[in-house]
Amino acid sequence: MSDEYENKTGYQAQSSETISSGSGGGSRTASDIDYVRPAEVTDQDLYHGHSFITKWVFCQDAKVIGVQYFLLATFTGVIGLILSWLMRLQLGFPGAAGFMTAEHYYQFVTMHGMIMVVYFLTALFLGGFGNYLIPLMVGARDMVFPYLNMVSFWSFFVAVGVLLASFFVPGGPTGAGWTLYPPQTILEGTPGSGWGILLMCISLILFVAGFTMGGLNYLITVLQARTRGMTLMRMPLTVWGIFTATVLAMLAFPALLVGALMMTLDNVLGTSFFMPTIIQAGEILEYSGGSPILFQHLFWFFGHPEVYIVALPAFGIVSDLISVHSRKNIFGYRMMVWAIVGIGGLSFFVWAHHMYVSGMNPWFGFFFATTTLIIAIPTAMKVYNWIITLWRGNIRLNVVMLWCLGFIVTFVNGGITGIFLGNVSVDVPLSDTYFVVAHFHMVMGIAPLMVIMGAVYHWFPLVAGRFLNETLGKWHFWLTFLGAYSIYFPMHYLGFIGVPRRYFEMYDSPYMTSAVGMNEFISMAAFIVGAAQFILIFNIIKTLKTGKPAGSNPWKANSLEWLTPSVPPEHGNWGDKLPVVHRWPYDFNVPGAKEDFITQTTPPSDVVGTEVEKT
Amino acid sequence: MSETKEKEQSTTHKIGIYLWIWGLLFVLSFFSYMVDWYQFQGMLRWSLILVFMFAKAGLIMAFFMHLYWERYALVNVLLWPMTAIACFIFLMVAEFEYTVFTRLFYFVVGG
Amino acid sequence: MSDPKIDGLELKPGFKGMADDTGSDQTMFKGVHWGKAMMWIFLLSDTFIFSCFLISYMKGRGSTLVDWPNASEVFGLHVFGVEVPLLLIAIMTFVLITSSGTMALAVKYGYEKNRKMCGWLILATAIGGLIFVGMQAFEWSKLISEGVRPWENPFGAKQFGSFFFMITGFHGTHVSIGVIFLFIYAYKTFAGHYDDRKRGWFTSMKGDYVEIEILGLYWHFVDLVWVFIFAFFYLW
Repeated sequence: MSDEYENKTGYQAQSSETISSGSGGGSRTASDIDYVRPAEVTDQDLYHGHSFITKWVFCQDAKVIGVQYFLLATFTGVIGLILSWLMRLQLGFPGAAGFMTAEHYYQFVTMHGMIMVVYFLTALFLGGFGNYLIPLMVGARDMVFPYLNMVSFWSFFVAVGVLLASFFVPGGPTGAGWTLYPPQTILEGTPGSGWGILLMCISLILFVAGFTMGGLNYLITVLQARTRGMTLMRMPLTVWGIFTATVLAMLAFPALLVGALMMTLDNVLGTSFFMPTIIQAGEILEYSGGSPILFQHLFWFFGHPEVYIVALPAFGIVSDLISVHSRKNIFGYRMMVWAIVGIGGLSFFVWAHHMYVSGMNPWFGFFFATTTLIIAIPTAMKVYNWIITLWRGNIRLNVVMLWCLGFIVTFVNGGITGIFLGNVSVDVPLSDTYFVVAHFHMVMGIAPLMVIMGAVYHWFPLVAGRFLNETLGKWHFWLTFLGAYSIYFPMHYLGFIGVPRRYFEMYDSPYMTSAVGMNEFISMAAFIVGAAQFILIFNIIKTLKTGKPAGSNPWKANSLEWLTPSVPPEHGNWGDKLPVVHRWPYDFNVPGAKEDFITQTTPPSDVVGTEVEKT
Repeated sequence: MSETKEKEQSTTHKIGIYLWIWGLLFVLSFFSYMVDWYQFQGMLRWSLILVFMFAKAGLIMAFFMHLYWERYALVNVLLWPMTAIACFIFLMVAEFEYTVFTRLFYFVVGG
Repeated sequence: MSDPKIDGLELKPGFKGMADDTGSDQTMFKGVHWGKAMMWIFLLSDTFIFSCFLISYMKGRGSTLVDWPNASEVFGLHVFGVEVPLLLIAIMTFVLITSSGTMALAVKYGYEKNRKMCGWLILATAIGGLIFVGMQAFEWSKLISEGVRPWENPFGAKQFGSFFFMITGFHGTHVSIGVIFLFIYAYKTFAGHYDDRKRGWFTSMKGDYVEIEILGLYWHFVDLVWVFIFAFFYLW
């Protein structure tokens, strides 16, 4: 089996190989075919905490850090959800909430956007799932720098604290929209133009610093700390997705950091990086000569990869869930990997498609529309591969699978509207309408959220040792899925008739008369969907103690995280001996095998006579 | 942290190479200083600045940071992301030219 | 450093080797210490930070309609009755390259487990860095006394002061952090923490001379950034 490192390029790799004992294999013995190269590095020595503080608070175990990230991100996510309720209350029933002023509305829009994109989805996927799953899935004892990993979480904690503190400072949080475009961000009259934006920038800088520490951990763990036999092309797609997203984050967050820093200087010191000459209330301000477009470029040089930072882990995770729950190998594994990598690479060349109406160099529209549409190719490949994986699979229609199906539908929907918006001439009339809101909520809000939900139902038995309740899960799914469609599908129509986004109220504009009923309907749906999420929280609390015990490998999956000696896995993950990997994690329903799955650690001598794919 | 088991086998380089590179860096810095001293202008100045800059950066990365001796896996991982930066630079050059155009057009010429 | 030897794997050079390394199990960067790999990826990320700064500077300088001050004159020094352009900057460059060279030698002696030599060289590097920071402070105070502020600039475009203080400040912060770590590492080297494989204060990881190389990477990177700042800020 040692020859397997060579000669695996091209079409040959896809052909199946039959190891037959005795007759064909000649003199090869079991220990020969099971041979895996010895370890290159010595086993990691870990710091084991003993007190409550070192074990559960300032903990260096990636699994605990992952759960910490998950809980804190969920907490901020719930705040974001409540903010969205308040916004929908105002939009559907103007004046129903007495305290809601236009300033409040803008602040809620801004904080909802920033919290959901950065502090909820990014932190949840990379900090939460990344920390928990990467070491387990690649067969490492822990992240390679556990101390740094701990500091990463606590930076995130402080960043969230600073962000939430901005609700209580004079002027409140910033109300400039989550894109924080100058000059209006730091001009008087924009809510939170003093303290709010300052705290927002500080919080973002802290988040980036903390995330850099975490990101270095994820990357080096994947690149340098895989277990014996674990090649890059044997990693579950979850790891590929999180890994590539982390690469994007490491290279994209610097632009955000620079933008936030320069904005802070403009705000505090009165520099003119982004601020042109401005006359405010008949008075010429001190600023002159700055370039607001520069901030937009910096922001979107970060912002577009950020979309894929959220999307790629979702792609990876959903591939694994679909494969496990349809009992079929993922169709076109290599294509999936290259699609993830390709999307990640391309995402650095498309950023200005968010700026078609910004007044940038008009030639850019051509360049960025082209690159944007090219991205549709690998994305479409992935969608086809998910569908072909499902095709003639032995599908378990459980809650996890429901979420996956929901994801595919939602993602296709959001992706197709992306093609509208990627073309300059179609984007210009649709820009800054509810069509855009519907598009990005579908594609990077609801779709990744569906994957998160699926992943929670899938991996909860690993983390807690018990299943989540299926009936509650189905209620949760159907309310969320149908509700989310009730929210965002009509929004496309609102966009077409020209209802602008970020407006506090439509007053007596011609849109409003035809949109009023629809806005009420959307708001009602939003309240229901939001409330439905608490079913999950109730479900988790309820099953944590009383759920059905899962035992080891309840889904009959192949990947390493289910193969730990104890469930839930302990610190150090693998007991005395690290696992040795012999195959990819997608050997389901292999002809000739005893069971319908062959785990990654099953040696070739155990599956003699089966038609396993040579991976 | 991990230790490679064969730490003892990693050989170090002769001191001469470091001294050579060190000397070269001084010479190149001196040259780039001379660009300013003699007040070259225009394309000549730009090309000289960039040539000396990239030569110095290349020497530091290749020899002081040992990239010349590293395996291609690491070198390529480090250098390919720079294409994104290159793209950013080219587009921003186009962008600032356009900004100057609009400013001249609207502020100086008057629309 | 030089090609490592790994059990059961023949390491090929060049792109063939890259393909093999990427396709193999366990590690992608063969024989590269975790910390060193981390520092490289961090530096890649940091490169993007400085690139974004310099790109912003290019955009800001390129699109201003007010004249940009002539760096050669602004940063000139008046010595012995002669106006010497960029003199201070030339000396700063000289100091930083000198310290980079001593760092490179420190790494070399570290790998040869020459504790004394390594320690002295790190100390020399730290002192070089300290001189650099001091000269930068001098340069800043000179500019400030001439009336240049982040928010205003008597010589021309406002953005000159803003970008100058921000970018050199950010670089100077990197140098200062480096100096602090150089002093710490000099102490640790002299105290023999790397020979005795003593555990780190915070991370509780065993000490190793590879840490000197990791620090060296950071320090050379600071030098590298200075090369770009020198070219784009002072020579443009």
